[in-house]
Amino acid sequence: MGPPKKSKKERSGGDKFAKKRRAEDEAFTQLVEMENDSNDAPEAEGVPGAASKNAEANDDNIDTDEYGAKDYRSQMQLRQDHSNRPLWVAPNGHVFLESFSPVYKHAHDFLIAISEPVCRPEHIHEYKLTAYSLYAAVSVGLQTHDIIEYLKRLSKATIPEGIIEFIRLCTLSYGKVKLVLKHNKYFIESPHPEVLQKLLKDPVIQKCRLIRNEGEEFIQGTMDGKAITQFGTKLPPTAAGAGTNPTEEAAPSSATTGADGNTAVPDDITNFYEKIDKEEEDEDEANLKTVSFEVAQEKIEVIQKRCIEIEHPLLAEYDFRNDTHNPDINIDLKPAAVLRPYQEKSLRKMFGNGRARSGVIVLPCGAGKSLVGVTACCTVRKRALVLCNSGVSVEQWKQQFKMWSTADDSMICRFTSEAKDKPMGCGILVTTYSMITHTQKRSWEAEQTMRWLQEQEWGIMVLDEVHTIPAKMFRRVLTIVQSHCKLGLTATLLREDDKIADLNFLIGPKLYEANWLELQKKGFIARVQCAEVWCPMSPEFYREYLTTRTSKKMLLYVMNPSKFRSCQFLIKYHEQRGDKTIVFSDNVFALKHYAIKMNKPFIYGPTSQNERIQIIQNFKFNAKVSTIFVSKVADTSFDLPEANVLIQISSHGGSRRQEAQRLGRILRAKKGAIAEEYNAFFYTLVSQDTMEMSYSRKRQRFLVNQGYSYKVITHLKGIDTEPDLLYGTQEEQGQLLQLVLSASDMDCEDEKMPGEPGYRAGGGGTTKRTGAISSMSGGDDAVYYEYRRKNTGSVHPLFKKFRG
Amino acid sequence: MADTKSGRYANSNATSGPSGSSSSTPPNISQLVQGPANLECKDFQEYLRTRQTPETLEKLYNYPPICLAVYRDLPEIARQFIIRILFVDQPVPQAVVSSWGAQRCAKEQQEATSCLTSLNVWRVTAIPGGLAAWELSPTFKKSVRQILLGGGKPWPMTNTLEKDSKPRDIAFLDSYAMSRWRCVLHYMVGTGNRNGTDAEAISPDAVRILLHANLMKRDERDGITITRQGFQFLLLDTRAQVWHFMMQYLDTCEERGISLPECLSMLFQLSFSTLGRDYSSEGMSHQMLAFLQHLREFGLVFQRKRKEGRFYPTRLALNVTSKESADATTAIVTMSASEEEERMQDRGYIVVETNYRVYAYTDSPLQVAVLGLFTELLYRFPNLVVGVLTRDSVRQALRGGITAEQIISYLEQYAHPNMKLVESAINSKSCLPPTVVDQIKLWEMERNRFTYTEGVVYNQFLSTTDFVTLRDYAQSIQVLVWQNEKTRTMVVQKNGHDDVKRYWKKYSKSAG
Repeated sequence: MGPPKKSKKERSGGDKFAKKRRAEDEAFTQLVEMENDSNDAPEAEGVPGAASKNAEANDDNIDTDEYGAKDYRSQMQLRQDHSNRPLWVAPNGHVFLESFSPVYKHAHDFLIAISEPVCRPEHIHEYKLTAYSLYAAVSVGLQTHDIIEYLKRLSKATIPEGIIEFIRLCTLSYGKVKLVLKHNKYFIESPHPEVLQKLLKDPVIQKCRLIRNEGEEFIQGTMDGKAITQFGTKLPPTAAGAGTNPTEEAAPSSATTGADGNTAVPDDITNFYEKIDKEEEDEDEANLKTVSFEVAQEKIEVIQKRCIEIEHPLLAEYDFRNDTHNPDINIDLKPAAVLRPYQEKSLRKMFGNGRARSGVIVLPCGAGKSLVGVTACCTVRKRALVLCNSGVSVEQWKQQFKMWSTADDSMICRFTSEAKDKPMGCGILVTTYSMITHTQKRSWEAEQTMRWLQEQEWGIMVLDEVHTIPAKMFRRVLTIVQSHCKLGLTATLLREDDKIADLNFLIGPKLYEANWLELQKKGFIARVQCAEVWCPMSPEFYREYLTTRTSKKMLLYVMNPSKFRSCQFLIKYHEQRGDKTIVFSDNVFALKHYAIKMNKPFIYGPTSQNERIQIIQNFKFNAKVSTIFVSKVADTSFDLPEANVLIQISSHGGSRRQEAQRLGRILRAKKGAIAEEYNAFFYTLVSQDTMEMSYSRKRQRFLVNQGYSYKVITHLKGIDTEPDLLYGTQEEQGQLLQLVLSASDMDCEDEKMPGEPGYRAGGGGTTKRTGAISSMSGGDDAVYYEYRRKNTGSVHPLFKKFRG
Repeated sequence: MADTKSGRYANSNATSGPSGSSSSTPPNISQLVQGPANLECKDFQEYLRTRQTPETLEKLYNYPPICLAVYRDLPEIARQFIIRILFVDQPVPQAVVSSWGAQRCAKEQQEATSCLTSLNVWRVTAIPGGLAAWELSPTFKKSVRQILLGGGKPWPMTNTLEKDSKPRDIAFLDSYAMSRWRCVLHYMVGTGNRNGTDAEAISPDAVRILLHANLMKRDERDGITITRQGFQFLLLDTRAQVWHFMMQYLDTCEERGISLPECLSMLFQLSFSTLGRDYSSEGMSHQMLAFLQHLREFGLVFQRKRKEGRFYPTRLALNVTSKESADATTAIVTMSASEEEERMQDRGYIVVETNYRVYAYTDSPLQVAVLGLFTELLYRFPNLVVGVLTRDSVRQALRGGITAEQIISYLEQYAHPNMKLVESAINSKSCLPPTVVDQIKLWEMERNRFTYTEGVVYNQFLSTTDFVTLRDYAQSIQVLVWQNEKTRTMVVQKNGHDDVKRYWKKYSKSAG
């Protein structure tokens, strides 16, 4: 049951290397297996039982009306003053909120704390109560009865019984106990003595308890936590108050004016809102009575697991200010670093009670996630470990640290396959997930760094793009690295396989999620015009498309000549406007063909680190390079603030996440742009009447739910009159078709990325030369050879696939 | 010998497959694909002009209430003319009439004149001296004089009645009328009869009228279903609905053995009555009593029992002749509180989001039913319906003969006031999200991807050589539409048919 325990004990054993290697290999094979096996049983492991409860189940025996809609009319009664209240709560946990209601602000803050946003367009927002969202609500200090009471007051109708029951179930046992590291000792702490009593009756937990003196009772204590309300301690307090905290003063006043200005707001709502507000402050300011007992450090994992099993998941909190064991690092925010209101809000959720909570912060790409990460590190001021998913973003994180904080080169250590700084004595280590979870033999130098890394007690671990890593890989990271608190950063907390749930318990609850549309309105992110360009399939291509087998179909619609022409037209159009354009293609064959035909630089998997950086530098600063082609390697953490046009010619099926991530590449707010107008463009080229159409619809769902709208362009104006477009004649199109038809199977596939099923990690140290089976057996045809000769400089994906 | 068949050949760029019956060149396609014409909604004047011959008009003018209705419906200048010449017993020269108005109003005057002529209210005669003159129709003149001055037979419904022991107030009548009328509408959208109560059902007569009016059609599979006109009908306001429905009723009333002028007269009498007052049905003919029962069914009058000699006209009957503008102003004055609220609800209850969600603030089964025609409904809350516009749901509506334009205009018409405050709504005409509008239109367009070419089929060639020769010829003069060598079939454009035929005759002669 479950992955093997790789506790410290095992590692510190005599033949620790051999053992470790074995364990790692096991974990890796397991990781691959897990990924391939979608309905594996141990998935639920590490997740408390209540989390599997689903409010949707309440719906199973609901009557449907004659139109097939779920009829809730019998379950709820409309209240007299319903027009003044902003929301409906459905028995299946869905909540609908009027954004034009006078109490929208109150309701919005509340709902974002207790539920997951489903869609947030202009007028009516939909949220969903889930076990995880309620867990998150509890962990930031909301109480069960408050949640129910406030929900009742905000609702236009009575709350269905099932929902009240659901909220109780999900919140009662959650968030009551905390695992706190204080004065270098681990304590289980709770304001509820009875809960601790209950825990101690459990034999497993009993064993973990560390009793220093015989007959010891609970340690009585008070939470002397004072909320950290300002970030960047270097600032003089007045400036900090004025500069970084405008919302805090503004928030209560606007709430009261809202109440005074509009008498329609029922009193009970505003009263309650104020009460909850105050309670939050109370929790921050007042000294809360707590009881706690100490636990043995080496039993931490056992106790965490056990607590989850008995439905009392431990909230990890780190009392970093009382941690004297780990040395402080000398790092502060620069005075120039000014936090935006939403960044501040998200950090307040994290450091709400003067300790650091673990959790995930969700901000749109380009909204300044790195600044949040840097600020969190500067607040904790302990050794920090930053994990990201590519070498390029390691560089970018280093830049971010240097830009926003006082950290210099000596403090920041990069640990990647290409850059290995000396780790000893540094405060911040930036590396990639694959470096940490790497299972092959490492160089001696890397081995040393890894050992050092494992020996450290990290103050904070920042996990960038946390949604991209599979849960298994993530568990591995957590077993290798010891860290007091974990901060996950992401733009899109969603996975196509919905395995995101695990993160809630591996890292912590979602602390904050920003509203894209609101940030866009306030100008923090670019206003993007999304467009779907329909490219008719040429008859020859369509004929082949209909008759050919599946794998080739994809290449046919990606290489559709009218798509090529549309792409070329759009690139030209935007080059003339002086825009910077990124073209995305998942399919490497198409990527190369398009890029080489149009004579533009391109980056894909095998492109070396140096070449990548060179191309990106050119794109940033060289006016002549205004268009680059990239494969999906650039989906995440490729920071290209200059880019404002994105063209997508091929994509990974119906992945909503990829769509959102790609949009994120151009989301960074543009300087000097007028907020009224669109200042960024996101084109998706789809071949008409092919599978791409339905994929495209699927992909758009997430963004559409965030309030984005896609304009469908059936005909690009001026494309017919534009000279110099390629593939205009039937002859050229015929040649293209021949090229496509003679392409090999490998060309038809998407590029594989680490962490995806089917990917084989390329061993860094292997020198054995391998090739495709076909080429070894001499089965390569002439076309294939010719193709290879043309691109001698770059490595064909085949090699990557069959190496190692 | 090649057998030529004149026919139409449909050519599609995506799916090939002939669709036989339809015809001709692109401009007509939309018409042809969309099928029957739109709902024609005529006002009273148009009705008289287009459906009635001068003779029947003359017959109608025998009834003073009809004349009064005609008079009230005329343009203001025309009414002036009538009053001025009503008591002049000889024809009035046209020059005199035209001198009454100022020169700058010539256009309006012209309109009034032609209006009176077309309704046969007056006609041209010659007076001594060869001048053209206007003369009022004698019947019309007599009836109007009677209305103004009294006299003639008293209207049957004005008989005095004893005081009703249980008088009905206006609010009751309003709600009664609307509930009756909604039965008809519910029947149309298929929500009626479901609950099975008798009060909800509508009579076979009413169904016949709906069928006659093309608002519904009999379908072999689904029984009686709503037509595109029916959908358009639902989009009208209540007054227009009642009017249109009554006009259709009058079309069929002769079949029932009820005289049209009598019915029309009765209808107008009702429209001149007072709301909340009771009237007597004593002295009415057998036919008129039958008519009254029909009016009762549709909610135009309230009657406690079939046999009771007392009835109350409702607002539906009163509004039947009033024009829209008049309706709006009087509505404010006379409308009862409950209906006003209802009106407020009628206007603007739909929110359409950029993610194709549709939220409708309503609990009216009718509105939900209309919405259900083209949206997929997800949830019903006590005062809110949540739905989503999907490709399937919209296509289903399109298949049912509803056009994208109709869906969009319905959503626009009832858009929630907040929809109009959005930035994009202010900048553009429509308050709906532009992407949603585009998408609905695209969904419609994807159904209309056939391009039609008229053509002639040549088949049953005796040999492949014959076929190839003729095909190559047709290709050389660029009239070949389609060919299949295996079945020796080819289609040429219609305008190339003569050339090809000539060539074929020449060829077969030379070969034979």
